[in-house]
Amino acid sequence: MSKVKMKRTGFVLDMTPLVDIAFLLLTFFMFTAKFKSEAESEQKFQIKRPKASADTSKIPDKDLAIIKIAIDSANIGDTSYYYEMTNEKDRAAVYNNAKGIDDSQRGKMQIKATLANLEELVGESRIQNPKTKFAIDADKRIRFKWLNDCMEVMRKKRATAFNLVTDKKQGM
Amino acid sequence: MAGGGTLGAGRERAKRGKPSKRKKKKRVGFVLDMTPLVDIAFLLLTFFMFTTTMTTPQIMQMFIPPQTDDVKVKCSELFTLRVRGDGKVFYNPCEDAPQYVQMKDLKKLMFDANLKLKNKLITVLKIDDNVAYDVVIRVLDELNLVEGDLVPAFQKENLPRERRFTIAPMTEKDLEEIKPL
Repeated sequence: MSKVKMKRTGFVLDMTPLVDIAFLLLTFFMFTAKFKSEAESEQKFQIKRPKASADTSKIPDKDLAIIKIAIDSANIGDTSYYYEMTNEKDRAAVYNNAKGIDDSQRGKMQIKATLANLEELVGESRIQNPKTKFAIDADKRIRFKWLNDCMEVMRKKRATAFNLVTDKKQGM
Repeated sequence: MAGGGTLGAGRERAKRGKPSKRKKKKRVGFVLDMTPLVDIAFLLLTFFMFTTTMTTPQIMQMFIPPQTDDVKVKCSELFTLRVRGDGKVFYNPCEDAPQYVQMKDLKKLMFDANLKLKNKLITVLKIDDNVAYDVVIRVLDELNLVEGDLVPAFQKENLPRERRFTIAPMTEKDLEEIKPL
């Protein structure tokens, strides 16, 4: 009985390996962590990307202009274009110079655009920085028409090389 | 560490009264309370574990011709793929009657067609406005995968692979042809 009641005063557990591993993981996750861009934290919709087979090419992050085609409400039919740029200097210049954009949109990170806006923005981006790379990040549920119209705009503005953003297919 | 050190050493000195030996003495009972450190470490660890997304998006490169000029091509070199509104794919070489092809057979079909005509084959993709983007990507993905098989197949014959591919608008006539199928 006395054995059970006894307090284990000198109980020591070696935590060193535990702490080692914890720190190892911590550093790993700290270095691999990539935070949402400001524009992304501002956006109210989420894009469900289509899945494509594994590819080694990753999305470039320098001088990138992203056209997002998203479904931004509960209604599947409501599709809109959004325009977003990673280079801050270019972004300021493009958003201020592009014609036909609502003034309330100019200060934002991400512009909700019509097709005419989009054409203006793509053209202006190419003028400000000819090295701008374009990416189309579209929701998998949208109709092809939206993508086709978008490609037509790119063609008009001579932005003929662009990227379609996809997610990696699992279990391939 | 410094605080714990002096504390331990101070006790030693009070007991023995030999301040000169203090430096040489091994600090056997040195204990540092690591609990707050470990607490914070784990807190950060869990934070970073939950916030990181492992799947970074990847890209599919596209090149479109700057202008849609009318280019004369031989009918025999054309291979048309049409995707109907419901996501079904139909193919026809030249101006033959279109035939239905399942998504999983598309790769094999394109591979054979390309092998027969070598680099001359022009793939024309026509997609209906109502097709879901998901399906578009799946078709493009299949076509990209074919390239992976074609390049080594052509290499055996010392032929560099030149891809000829275009997305063309779907016309009324196209739609009529695949409607009853």
